Amino acid sequence: MNPAPKPGTQAEVARVLARHALGWLVAANAVGVLLAVLLLWPDLNDELLGSLTYGRWLPLHLDWQLYGWCALPLVGVLLAWCLDARQLGAVAHTRVVLGAWSLALALGGLAWLGGVTSGKMFLEWHDWARPLLPAAMTLLWTVLAAHVWWRRDELGGGTKAARVLALLAFALVPAALYWSAGREVYPSVNPDSGGATGARLLGSTLGIVAIYGFIAEVLGVSRPGRRGWFWGYFVFSVAVCAGIEHGNASHHEVLQVVGLATLLGWLPLAWLYFRGGIGAPTARRWWGAAFAWWAALVGAGLWTFLPGVSERLKFTNGMVAHAHLAMAGLVTSANLAVLVELRALYAPRGFWLWQAACVAQVAVLLALGWLETGHAAELFLSEPWTQAIYAARLAAGVAMLLASVLWWRGISGREEARHDDAE
Amino acid sequence: MPNNPNPSRTVPVVAAILAIAATYGFFLLFGEFALLELAKPLFGGERALRPLLAVLGAGGVAGSLLAAWRFDLRRFRGALAGGFAACAVSAAVSLSGGRPGLWFAAGATGLSLGWTTVTLSAGLRAVAGARRLGLWCGLGTGLAYAVGNLPAVFEATPQAQAAIALGFTFVGILAAGRMQPEVVGAVEASDGERRDWLVWGAIFLALVWLDSAGFYILQHTPELRAQTWSGPLILYGNALTHLLSAVVAGCALDARRLGGTAFVALVFLGVADLLLGQGAGGFAGTRMLYTIGVSAYSVALVHYPAFGARPWVVAGIFSVAGWLGSALGIGMVQDLHAIPEWFIALAGVVVFGALAVRSRQLRRSEAVLTVGVAALCLGPRMVSAEDATVALGREVYIAEGCINCHSQYVRPGVLQEVLWWGPARPLAANLAETPPLIGLRRQGPDLMNVGNRRSPDWQRLHLIAPRTVSPGSRMPGYAHLFRAGDRRGEALVAYLGELGAETMAVRRQQIAGWKPAAEAMLAPFNGPAARQQFVRLCASCHGPEFRGDGMLAGQLALKPPDFTREAWRQVRADEPDRVLALTRIIKFGVPGTPMAGREYLDDATAVMLARHVEALSRGQRAR
Repeated sequence: MNPAPKPGTQAEVARVLARHALGWLVAANAVGVLLAVLLLWPDLNDELLGSLTYGRWLPLHLDWQLYGWCALPLVGVLLAWCLDARQLGAVAHTRVVLGAWSLALALGGLAWLGGVTSGKMFLEWHDWARPLLPAAMTLLWTVLAAHVWWRRDELGGGTKAARVLALLAFALVPAALYWSAGREVYPSVNPDSGGATGARLLGSTLGIVAIYGFIAEVLGVSRPGRRGWFWGYFVFSVAVCAGIEHGNASHHEVLQVVGLATLLGWLPLAWLYFRGGIGAPTARRWWGAAFAWWAALVGAGLWTFLPGVSERLKFTNGMVAHAHLAMAGLVTSANLAVLVELRALYAPRGFWLWQAACVAQVAVLLALGWLETGHAAELFLSEPWTQAIYAARLAAGVAMLLASVLWWRGISGREEARHDDAE
Repeated sequence: MPNNPNPSRTVPVVAAILAIAATYGFFLLFGEFALLELAKPLFGGERALRPLLAVLGAGGVAGSLLAAWRFDLRRFRGALAGGFAACAVSAAVSLSGGRPGLWFAAGATGLSLGWTTVTLSAGLRAVAGARRLGLWCGLGTGLAYAVGNLPAVFEATPQAQAAIALGFTFVGILAAGRMQPEVVGAVEASDGERRDWLVWGAIFLALVWLDSAGFYILQHTPELRAQTWSGPLILYGNALTHLLSAVVAGCALDARRLGGTAFVALVFLGVADLLLGQGAGGFAGTRMLYTIGVSAYSVALVHYPAFGARPWVVAGIFSVAGWLGSALGIGMVQDLHAIPEWFIALAGVVVFGALAVRSRQLRRSEAVLTVGVAALCLGPRMVSAEDATVALGREVYIAEGCINCHSQYVRPGVLQEVLWWGPARPLAANLAETPPLIGLRRQGPDLMNVGNRRSPDWQRLHLIAPRTVSPGSRMPGYAHLFRAGDRRGEALVAYLGELGAETMAVRRQQIAGWKPAAEAMLAPFNGPAARQQFVRLCASCHGPEFRGDGMLAGQLALKPPDFTREAWRQVRADEPDRVLALTRIIKFGVPGTPMAGREYLDDATAVMLARHVEALSRGQRAR
């Protein structure tokens, strides 16, 4: 006899998840504000922080955003997909897994502040800190696998097979992260820009497509009639990615540009795929914002890769703008929608505060990046107009921090969550 | 097939040695160097050569298998001479130019080399006998390496190298004619000494893989190449080392020390690859280890199949270990840009494991001696104080997150960048570092060649209090790294001083060839603005009146002079255009001295400052 699911379990799991995810967003945004302050008034480094200088803080901002805020809502989707709500320990398991994950991030932060880093951006895990997050990921995988096993009688053949296949694929992730953080591993490089090749950009963007396509399937927000087009074009895109040069290819090679341009096909496809089945009404505007940022990201990604534009923007604040476009614009909007769909948040406040601040942040950084090459002296000498731009960036950062605090405070209370789950 | 009744084997043995030398020499000089160098300009770079290499390798495997299938000791001399002739044709076609010719040459070279190698190896024992076969293989292989390393050959143009390789084939044809096999029956009987060729195939595969990866790194990292393969002294030294170690390896093989030879090659190549991974190509030990390791296994690779004299085993060994191992080694480094340490460990496990299967192949004394020699070479490398300081400095650079604000990559196509922070260097050189520190964002200048434009004095002052020497800089201060007892600050200065230091001469040429835009030279002079910029950018060292009494002047090893009294140091008295010369100094500094430039200044500002200091100097002296 199968026991009935414990009331409130799913909502409690979502609530715990949101505390961790939004907690890391707040922490990473706070570090971002600190960095913006240090760029404006670098003497504060010596006066306030001593040896904890700008360069030691930056990995905390980048990696807490990536492995904390960007990743944890996706972990929440996996938990919702696999967790067996009938198990008495389901919430406790979630707390242990997310606690381990957050502990890894906290210890990682200490390592980076202490100068223990690989020297590879977004992959700073090094030395004693290198196995921390892979270990937390392995723990997560173990819990997911155990719950799928406990639910084996409840799941149908197809849904069980999908989970088993996904778990088999996810089993590689901890080892892949550990391996890729090694100093001896480095991806292919565009010899004319020193940056990513077209194949790399295409591959990483397809990774985002795959993740959000998977989320849409799990959350049930995709339109079934468009599924074939979506995943068909995905297979085509992967084939294109596999077919173009993967070595150190230049952005002056036509196939690299053409390969990257196939991403434009995702603009209508993603829209058609997602717009059918959005569940929570309060998630709708976050999904809408995510589409707008997605369109901007794809367009900007292609534009900044083009010969002539790349030469002007590479290594400038323009590329920082692009990173904010992706993480603060697209991922944050989509993750807010995911948290709402998971019932971790009801109607998060501060939508326009975040969106306006994010637009401002991206716009001023892009403008500075565009002007930077021709006005390097003014930038290096901290002329007033460059200080004004950095001040505007700081103001936008403070607004984004405020918005994230609002969301954190708006996480559903325990009673609300139980009530919602019971409904 | 007539058996040769002549008791003297001197002529066939000498011919066999020459044939080995010709085959190996052709492979090294033409297959590994000249053919690819000839193709590079036509195919548009290194990576575009992959298909050509694939054709070469496929031809090699096909030629090897074909030779094994058609091998007949009674037609040995003709088959061998035919192989050399085909090699000659492929080299000649490659010289005719054009992509089709090179495609043909690649395929034909693979086929003919595969054929020649297997034919020669399978018949060698019948010609030269088994007793001293190792020594003859060592002499032939060592000669090939030695000739290939002679400065006149090594530094020749690809066309000349192809022509020399053509000469090798003629030597081979002549030698083949004198290689009369002895008693056919005796050779066939030697198959009684069976060895596990699968085990040895795995060992040779690992060794060729290690060698090819190390060779590719050396060949494609300009600094390492310059340190390892440049200058007559180094090249003659390499040639002699190759010859001697090949002869020693041959003698060891005659003494049935095949396992020991493979072990020596493994340890020496593995340690050399590890050192190369650390950028230690300039260290003489790396060169020696690599050279001895390559010679040792190369002789074994010729001797093992030749001793067995079984055509299909010969073809298998050369196809799998030779052609496939080379392709895998090169492909691995092209994709990973380094030789991963785990791979070296894996190769060690394969060879050790394989030797353990045949435990009689390795003596404990040999193992101890080999590891001891390798440790002796590693030891000094580890304790070199200067290198250790620079290495610590690099770690400090990484730990402090300098990469978050500074790139180390000058984009070769962006002229302004090459001018400000140049010269550019090949991507492969950047990727050979662990980890590469290319970076993503520049809050400050690129540092790839900072050692050619900023002196240690300047770096120290800048790190301790950035805005004293670089007004408006957003960089935090690192005075805490220079506290008493803390080595990190000086190590960081040493590391920064090493970056691009070897490009100083090129940098000087760049600066000497630069001129500001014509309109900047013709712009009207704005005295107050010029003075304001001078006080802001120059006075901390030169003093507000150009008397060399700035607040930092006393902290510089080369104190700035009082230009109101003393003569210019860097501008000649008869300089036809003093303003131009001063503008160059203001913009780019004086490499090798504490005088740092302001590369980012626009031409008009730099010219304005030059006029100001020229006027200060002239005016004060006039008074």
